Amino acid sequence: MFRTVSITSFIVVFICIIIHWIIFRPKANELFGADRRLRILDPLRFLVFLLTLLFIPQKLTLIGVLRKLVYLLALLCFVVLFITGFFSRLVLGQTISGYWLMLHATFALVFAICVAILAVMWAYNCRLNKKYWPWLQKILQQDMTDSAIPRKHELAQKLSFWLIVLLALPLILSIILSMFTFFGTHWQELLADIHRYIAVVFALAVVVHTYLMVIIQAKR
Amino acid sequence: MIAFLALLLITPSLSAAAEPAGTLLGDESDGSRAQPNHLIELFPEDIDPTSFEFVKGDKIKPDIDESSKVLLPFSTKWTCGECHSYNIINKGWHFNAADPNVLPGRLGQPWIYFEARTATQIPLSHRRWPGTFRPEQVGLTNYEFVKIFGRHTPGGGAGEHDAEDTAQKMRQYISGKLEANCLACHNADPGQDQGGTYGYSMQVARGNFRWAAAASSGFASVTGSAEDMLDTYDPFDPFEVQSAKERQKSPPAVTYHKAAFDNENRVLFNIVREIPAKRCYYCHSNLYLSDDGQNLSDDEKTEKWATDEDVHLKAGLTCVDCHRNGLDHNIIRGYAEENMVSQNPLVTTSTCEGCHLSEGENRPQAGRLGAPVPKHPGIPPIHFEKLTCTACHSGPWPGKKAQLTKTSRAHRLGTPNVNKSDEVLPHIIAPVFAKQHGTIVGYRGRALILANGKIAPHKLLWPAFWAELVDKQVRPVALDVVRQTVGEVFANLELPQSGDWPNLSKENITSALVSLAKAIEGKAAYIAGGNLYSLDDKGEPQKQQGHPAAQPYLWPIAHDVRPAAQSLGVRRCEDCHATDSPFFFGTVTVDSPVVSDRISAKKMVEFEDLSPLYTWLFAFSFVFRPWLKVVAIGSCVILAGILLLYALKALASVAKVLAGED
Repeated sequence: MFRTVSITSFIVVFICIIIHWIIFRPKANELFGADRRLRILDPLRFLVFLLTLLFIPQKLTLIGVLRKLVYLLALLCFVVLFITGFFSRLVLGQTISGYWLMLHATFALVFAICVAILAVMWAYNCRLNKKYWPWLQKILQQDMTDSAIPRKHELAQKLSFWLIVLLALPLILSIILSMFTFFGTHWQELLADIHRYIAVVFALAVVVHTYLMVIIQAKR
Repeated sequence: MIAFLALLLITPSLSAAAEPAGTLLGDESDGSRAQPNHLIELFPEDIDPTSFEFVKGDKIKPDIDESSKVLLPFSTKWTCGECHSYNIINKGWHFNAADPNVLPGRLGQPWIYFEARTATQIPLSHRRWPGTFRPEQVGLTNYEFVKIFGRHTPGGGAGEHDAEDTAQKMRQYISGKLEANCLACHNADPGQDQGGTYGYSMQVARGNFRWAAAASSGFASVTGSAEDMLDTYDPFDPFEVQSAKERQKSPPAVTYHKAAFDNENRVLFNIVREIPAKRCYYCHSNLYLSDDGQNLSDDEKTEKWATDEDVHLKAGLTCVDCHRNGLDHNIIRGYAEENMVSQNPLVTTSTCEGCHLSEGENRPQAGRLGAPVPKHPGIPPIHFEKLTCTACHSGPWPGKKAQLTKTSRAHRLGTPNVNKSDEVLPHIIAPVFAKQHGTIVGYRGRALILANGKIAPHKLLWPAFWAELVDKQVRPVALDVVRQTVGEVFANLELPQSGDWPNLSKENITSALVSLAKAIEGKAAYIAGGNLYSLDDKGEPQKQQGHPAAQPYLWPIAHDVRPAAQSLGVRRCEDCHATDSPFFFGTVTVDSPVVSDRISAKKMVEFEDLSPLYTWLFAFSFVFRPWLKVVAIGSCVILAGILLLYALKALASVAKVLAGED
């Protein structure tokens, strides 16, 4: 059941991302300039562009550098957690155990810290201002002249951020609470199921958020 | 009065007529839970003077003239068989070990033949459990096997097999067959004597198989020994019996206690369906030679008052509440995969899970017999995939080192003149936490093993025996050959009073192997302490470590079950997940007569099929688990704070808008 649900969810989301990319992808001319040579190398150029996103720009302040470092660390932890968490379950069809479990638990600790720090650092910038709700302002007959126009996909990116923060809470709690002697077998199984299913939604939210970050950066 | 007597006379025939064809009176219950009265006549096994076949003898009268007719012991086959289908009962689990058609199921306790003089300790079983040897492989005939081990069987099995050659047939004619002794389990009379000086075990050892059940009954005395009789002795001929006595020989003879018989020569048996645990204990007692941290002296720790019983017995259950059977005596062993090999309909509901956890298909199952439904708070469900229930709940609380253990069957407990030393052979070590070998569910040329893969507590035996190598196959050498060769070489070897191993040096082994090699066709070898010793082409001793044939034999244990409050993990995860926990890192001594082998030891983790490094790292990670909890909860607090803060801000914005302020 879990295997079917999660594999289907991942496939659906990845197909949606591919379709979205095909429709909304930044034009190569906008990204790399219209006067570039050897256009056959555009995919390579795009990979280099993706790589540069991992770099820390010199213009960043100390806080900015810290924010980026924490984000990159969180991303690394997410990749490890994704592989260790889903490989056993989805590929091998077994409960996570052995070295996978040890890696998972180790990186989960770092990831939990990173998510908490990122939540603090990003929350202010991810506020959902009234500019994201023009339809609501119209209903309320409010003046919209001073509302800045948000960038494309910005709302989706911010919503995915809040979804990540919201899901991180039960994701962490479901596994931490099971380590205490509060819950019996039935609840242990329920908590494990909660952890698994939330992990799927959480992973999808992170994938979508990262994709939107990339596409926004590319458009910028 | 006459009518009443007439009714009494015809009642049995009426009852018998009411049964289906082939079904005897006692084969099928009418549903009454009341205890049936067993005031019955006794019948012996006799010999038909014309056909010379064994037949049902005349009703036993304790005061017959023994000069004209031998007073014979009663036969359970003919006495109990009057009302119960003996030939169905004696196919049950307790009696069918020697039947090659019976699937052996999960590995069980073997019979252990040991002899300090020849440094031998070898697991034997008629059941084809990998790691055990069939008695005939070490040259034991059925008669010899029963004479050694029949003391702790309820009869039947190998004891009822027809002898194969003429010499054995003559001995079997004298000793009789060891019939299934119904009384061994079902007689609740306190006089039932299985292990007394003149009881069942002693009669079996004397070769008095025909007399053993009567001797155990409590109302008959048996003297003499069939073993001492000449091959030509006829136990059914009163003249022969008298002649033997005159030759100062003591032929086997029975004397009944006349007070036990009523005026119609019937005897009242206290036969019960609900077999008392103490009957089972005769063959199924365990003695763990550790003081369980109670600071008991060596003498005290073996005492009953110093040890606890299985929690189920203390809760008021008896063994047969779980280990059930019907007429076929196909008793439930109680392991999870038994339904693959047993036809007993209650086999799936009589396991640990059956009473404590099973939800049942049509009705609630858990809680049967008052079984508490366990909550297992804080235990991740993966434990139930990796461990048997017994891993945490059964056997003694594990110590740093697995202890020597005694069992009734291996150490002859409950019989006369038992060596009570802790070190007496055979050396069984427990509890050893190991991955189960699985359950043998069939044969296709070789045993089909359904691997269970769960870790369970086991008893362990390091085999030590003399063998010959033929085509790289290790075959044990017949015990009498070993006695004649190795026994001669070791004749002057000092044997400890404690019954422990002699101290063998490599020189001892070399000279024994040289002697043995002369008596066998293959290459002589000695298995001990997990190693195979043999001589190279130059006659020098060589040791092959970890030889497959030298691996220890392990069998799972289930009892005594400890209460939930004393199960592993009840205090904290570190009961098992610690770098020095007995569960993973407890020591299992390598037991061997060879002195140089005794320094080696193994860790439990080696038997659990786990990586020692991983297990150690995983256990070590539990040091940081409290940190993980604190940091993760701290992160959750921050995340919740952020969510709450911005949710309140959002609410404030909504309130502001709704108030018309924005």
